[in-house]
Amino acid sequence: MRARREWSIIRFLLTALALFAVWLLFTASFELFSVAFGIVGSLLIAALTYDVFLAQHEANLRFFVPRPLYLIKFLLLLMFFLYQSSIVMLGSVITGNASPRIVHFRTRLRSDLARMVLANSITFTPGTITLDLNDDHLTVHWFFCNTSHAKAAGEAVKGRMETHIKRVWL
Amino acid sequence: MIWIIREILALIAFSSAVVFGLGGLAGLFRFPDPYSRLQAGSLCGTTAVFSIFIGALLLASDTAVAARIVIIAIFFLMSAPTGSHIVARFTWNAGVYPWKPPKVRTGSARRRKKSRDSSEKRGGAE
Amino acid sequence: MLDVMQWFTLFCAVVCIVRLVLGPTTADRLVALNILSGVVLAFLVLRGVRQGRSLYLDVALVYDIFGFLGFLAIARILKDKMTDDG
Repeated sequence: MRARREWSIIRFLLTALALFAVWLLFTASFELFSVAFGIVGSLLIAALTYDVFLAQHEANLRFFVPRPLYLIKFLLLLMFFLYQSSIVMLGSVITGNASPRIVHFRTRLRSDLARMVLANSITFTPGTITLDLNDDHLTVHWFFCNTSHAKAAGEAVKGRMETHIKRVWL
Repeated sequence: MIWIIREILALIAFSSAVVFGLGGLAGLFRFPDPYSRLQAGSLCGTTAVFSIFIGALLLASDTAVAARIVIIAIFFLMSAPTGSHIVARFTWNAGVYPWKPPKVRTGSARRRKKSRDSSEKRGGAE
Repeated sequence: MLDVMQWFTLFCAVVCIVRLVLGPTTADRLVALNILSGVVLAFLVLRGVRQGRSLYLDVALVYDIFGFLGFLAIARILKDKMTDDG
């Protein structure tokens, strides 16, 4: 019971911190009134919504607190993947070579946030679009399909992104 | 001097944006079904826009403008996939079946032709 | 350079609108709308940098964050309509 209470206090503080960071980002001013209003508002909203923002079953801090160095590395790699797959896609538009198909596969990531980031990065690179994400089961429309085996398709679509996300969020 | 280097880098970013944008617009009219159009259009809607952000960041005159462009690019990393996911999910729920490309048919036709040729050859050999 | 890119984004927007008007199915129109929103975002950023005013960039930021809510609503309404018909 005590552990549960401690956990909810941690979740509440993290929610308030995230909301206050967004407030500072958007107002971009450090006047006393603005900062005080931000603190009061983020504490109030965090008290109302922390249970939705961070669900109770996410029982590990590393499920949603990223490791900053690996996060920056992942973002740079994501930009590299974007341009790499864009060039492949551009060649496909010019030549008309394509074999679109819908593939299903599973992911090894455990937290909801990491799965969401994986689905978002898959959609962000041209050539693959996530149609559905159901627990650990992804449905992806893949433009250059060359295999019908679920595991091989998963490895080809996720590529190195999954291992990098696993370093950031578990 | 630094300004000239920045302009050259921005020129590279903008010209890549033009190339990807034109490719995406061509793909928008080339492919026949919504999924493929979305895939090709994300060239124009994601890669070209991101290249334009990089070029604008290189040309930004003061820090306030540059910081805002960085924030916009970070939020674009989240909002662009969300938008195309919504469209793709709508298409998927509407029951549209993904298109089989004619290229595969011509490819298999070529393969069939080739196999016919080889069978003829084989027939000739026999 | 920035002026040329503004004209280019306007050209992209016009082509997207052609697709939006032509598009045979609803999904095609939504695809065109999705790309159009990205192009308009790029136009706002270019305009802000050209004029050296951060006001356009604030507008672009808000458009970026809440842009997809528009076609989320459209997709939702059309889906409900479709299930009603079917």
